[in-house]
Amino acid sequence: MKTISKMKLCQVWFRLLLLQGSWNFERLQGGGWFYTMAPVLRVLYGEKEMQRIAREHVGYFNTHPYLAPTVVGAVIRMEIERAEGKEPVIGIAEFKEMVASPYAAVGDALFWGGLRPLAAGVALLLAAKGLVFAPIVFLIMFNALPLWFRIAGFLSGYELGVQSVDFLQKRKLPDLAIRAKETSVVLLGGVAAFMVFQVLEEKHKPLWLGLLAIPVVLVCGHLARRGVSTLMLVLLASGLVMLCSLFSADVAVWLP
Amino acid sequence: MIGAGVALVCGLDRMAALQIMISRPIVAAPLVAWLLGDIAVGLEIGLMVELLWLARLPIGAAIPPDDTQVSIAGTVLAVSLGRVFGHSGLEYQLLCLLIAIPLGKFGQFFDRFARQFNGRKVALSDRYLEAGKFRAMEQTHRMGLCCFGFAAVGTYMVIVSCGLILIPILAPLMLPVLATTSEWLRLALPLVGIAVILGTANVSRSLTLFGASFSMAFLLMWLV
Repeated sequence: MKTISKMKLCQVWFRLLLLQGSWNFERLQGGGWFYTMAPVLRVLYGEKEMQRIAREHVGYFNTHPYLAPTVVGAVIRMEIERAEGKEPVIGIAEFKEMVASPYAAVGDALFWGGLRPLAAGVALLLAAKGLVFAPIVFLIMFNALPLWFRIAGFLSGYELGVQSVDFLQKRKLPDLAIRAKETSVVLLGGVAAFMVFQVLEEKHKPLWLGLLAIPVVLVCGHLARRGVSTLMLVLLASGLVMLCSLFSADVAVWLP
Repeated sequence: MIGAGVALVCGLDRMAALQIMISRPIVAAPLVAWLLGDIAVGLEIGLMVELLWLARLPIGAAIPPDDTQVSIAGTVLAVSLGRVFGHSGLEYQLLCLLIAIPLGKFGQFFDRFARQFNGRKVALSDRYLEAGKFRAMEQTHRMGLCCFGFAAVGTYMVIVSCGLILIPILAPLMLPVLATTSEWLRLALPLVGIAVILGTANVSRSLTLFGASFSMAFLLMWLV
């Protein structure tokens, strides 16, 4: 039975950190995929036979970078089985094609859409209080889960091969993504309330005015949904605040 | 040089390598500010920029404006140039940021160029494959990192250069205006970011959840 040494697996895992190094519009992560797999292919097939096999590993590939280790681990297992002459349940190219898009979709929703705003919300709350360790809290909060998926996903992929799909299915990631998104929306509400409260208190303004922030945010959100860019909203908001100051020494004096 | 170094490392983290999120403004800005000796400025800038483009997901071929370089360059301008011209305070940080934010669009151009340049290397990589030069293929991939590195530093340089030109001209005009509005602008930028997240997030009942949590938190702070 052919095996891959732990050292070689570590090399592949570290190369996965550079998966998107040559990202391009033609093959997306394709170049990175070959770069990641090359040490294993070299061990399994040697330089001579590698050319034939490598052709299957240079094409288009794109998935979420934190879930890519699961795919790579599984493909290494499949390559080992192929090198041993076993009949594959599914072709390597088909397997990559089958899992890449769903993993990308669920990864984007969970990590970018859910976890990142959540960690950012907590860090902003701490930063607004002037706590200098806010960035460290953000890094720890955000990276714990991706790091676990990067390591456990790779190992389960290597252990289970094609069956590693179950590893992610069991985690119910789409549900987790929805919960993370909802939690981040609730948290951002708290962050906004805290920042508005802070400013009104510093400016010695009536606190009930803070509730006006809700319609302001809703209008801006509506504009963003209608396709108005963030840059335009920033310029609009800044322009409005500064325009007010042209007619008064302090925009706050307009307020009761 | 410190700024360029941080811009390079964080720029690579943004897309090409690691992706441990040191490229997020809430981390990158305090990091460069800490290295320049004034972490509080970085924390302020990180706080104001972090949420702005958080809703723009780096999915597939989508390239959001480069908030990493906006925050790093904005911080470098606020700390270093502030010392040269004797400016400081929230209003000056806001001036630097308001100049840097629109220039973040350059990051999209540089990033697109890096990806297109990498695309041109695909044919070369295929030729190496046919010739059995696998080490050269791996080297081609590593070269892609350089492209993203150049894109990051290029964006940083453009923002800093424009800042160096514009700040001395705009500071006398805008600082008095910003002095009276800085607290409100400091609040407005994160609120715009939150609004964009709410507007674009695919969460059912997001407005209800936001409204309820905002009201509850605000009332608690008010009454307690």
